[in-house]
Amino acid sequence: MIEAIVQILLNGAAIGGVYALVALGYTLVFSVLGVINFALGALFSLGGYFTYLLMGGAISANGGLPGWKLPFGLPFPLALLLAAVLTGLVSLLVERLAFAPLRRRQAEPLLYLITSLGAGLVLVNLLQMLMGAEGYAFPSTALAQLPEAVMIAGARIRSVQVLLLAVCATSVIALTLWLECSRRGRALQAVAEDATTARLLGINSDAMLRLAFLLSGGLAGLGGGLIGVSISLPGPYVGIGYGLKGLAVLVLGGLGSVPGAIAGGLLMGLAEALVPSEASGWRDALAFAVLFAVLLLRPRGLLGRRLVEKV
Amino acid sequence: MIDDALLVQMLIGALLGVSVYLPLAAGQLSLATPAFYAVGGTLAALLSTGWPLLGASSDAGFPVPSFLLELLLGGLVAGALALLVGRPVLRLQGIYLAIATIALVEIVRVAILNLPFTGGAIGIFGIPQPFPTAAGYLLPALALLILAGLICQRLEVMPLGRAMAAIRNDELAASCMGIDTTRVKLTAFVMSAVLAGSTGALAAHFLNTWNARQGSFDTSVTMLAFVILGGSRTWLGPVVGGLLLTALPELLRPVGDVRLVLFGLVILLGPVLFPQGLITPTRLEWLGSLWERSASSKEVRP
Repeated sequence: MIEAIVQILLNGAAIGGVYALVALGYTLVFSVLGVINFALGALFSLGGYFTYLLMGGAISANGGLPGWKLPFGLPFPLALLLAAVLTGLVSLLVERLAFAPLRRRQAEPLLYLITSLGAGLVLVNLLQMLMGAEGYAFPSTALAQLPEAVMIAGARIRSVQVLLLAVCATSVIALTLWLECSRRGRALQAVAEDATTARLLGINSDAMLRLAFLLSGGLAGLGGGLIGVSISLPGPYVGIGYGLKGLAVLVLGGLGSVPGAIAGGLLMGLAEALVPSEASGWRDALAFAVLFAVLLLRPRGLLGRRLVEKV
Repeated sequence: MIDDALLVQMLIGALLGVSVYLPLAAGQLSLATPAFYAVGGTLAALLSTGWPLLGASSDAGFPVPSFLLELLLGGLVAGALALLVGRPVLRLQGIYLAIATIALVEIVRVAILNLPFTGGAIGIFGIPQPFPTAAGYLLPALALLILAGLICQRLEVMPLGRAMAAIRNDELAASCMGIDTTRVKLTAFVMSAVLAGSTGALAAHFLNTWNARQGSFDTSVTMLAFVILGGSRTWLGPVVGGLLLTALPELLRPVGDVRLVLFGLVILLGPVLFPQGLITPTRLEWLGSLWERSASSKEVRP
């Protein structure tokens, strides 16, 4: 009994950790710019494919360059890290193309929704052209150093799940510490609070914005690599579903709230893990049903701040 | 290059564009249109394949009156659903409303995928045809679009439409002027749902098969792109946007796999190049004055 509970809790927390990563990716950009970056799901996919390629994986026969692969294969931890950095750089490019032109002329926020989604469409379809539409499984040697499973409190847990949980927890804690304690992190928070005042105080708010995009893309890329190694990459659209779940988590926790995003992610992961396997088809609706219910009860999310509109 | 089937698809795109436009005209960013479209389509697919009273078994093709009845029922059921969820959902504002409506779309999608009678991932196929060719659908689709256009045009001078515009400009000020903002927003939301439901019923027959993929998150935002690229200030904008953007992937088919990348680029660059959309009230006025000038110069010249 206890073992079953531990198993459910850990599985839920592992997947919830990935949701939290995505939600934090949204949060970083939202808190600085006040808009949602709909390209984040595509960046998630990109992170997964980057990790696969950096580990020396080959492009399938239906891809744009059949059989091509990098001349080297990195070990998984290194590949994951590098993939996150590369995804962050692509996220910077997305900012340059989809956000910067609108920001310069102070366009209405609605337009960012469209341009960021357009950027996401471009990325996903480029992936499809290059890698083909079919799924990729990571080589089984990816985590050969780790045992297949570990025993925690009498429950058998796949060590991939533990790895997932550990990486998510480490990145979330590191990000929170960085935001709270470092000079740059506090500057980012200042820009999020009030960009004009921050600029008057000598903070380069444009640089902070780019930093937010870099980190946000990095988090999404990390999520993609982790899901790739623990499950597989079912196709270029893999990130869209996680992007949507992350959106649900984001609103569940309250837009722009870092603790809210973490708590929301864990909550959502646990709720999904509790769905019995006979009803697994309905699992994908659960996040949105929960979101729907929460929004109706607390229109600004669980930990969201109440904004009073000034006239 | 543009055949009858593509024309019908373009008209369906235009209808869905108008459906997204209606709540937006009242300042509400609702992405729920695919949910209502899916509900209307599923209803029509179920009725026409499972209810012999409608005449599906007759050899002479599906009777047109039954088809029209389904358009009506699809609209009504979608409208009823909108009435049910609209009141709580429309309390939300801005991006919260947008995400709640995306949630609605996902819930409807997963429900259609998992309910025992909607055919699962394969969906419902062999939906009977009221018309022998695709050209037959042109007339009802065009009629529906003209009806929607007339209603939108009338709205611009009606109290309801003025109230919608007032809420779009400033909701707080509108409510201070004594406008029942909840009712006006709900009316716009229900109108949007009715239109999407009827369009879904039409599309189900036209496509011949219907499954859960018809209404998903990508479709939500593609439909929003119809409105934003076409122009969200007049109802003609979403019509033009829907027609063009539905045709684009098909017209790009000769370039091969790159077409979807190019489609994404259009959606990415469109708002940057045309922040107001293609059709704006000032451009319409300019076109109108151009038209009048050419008309009057003809009179002078004889």
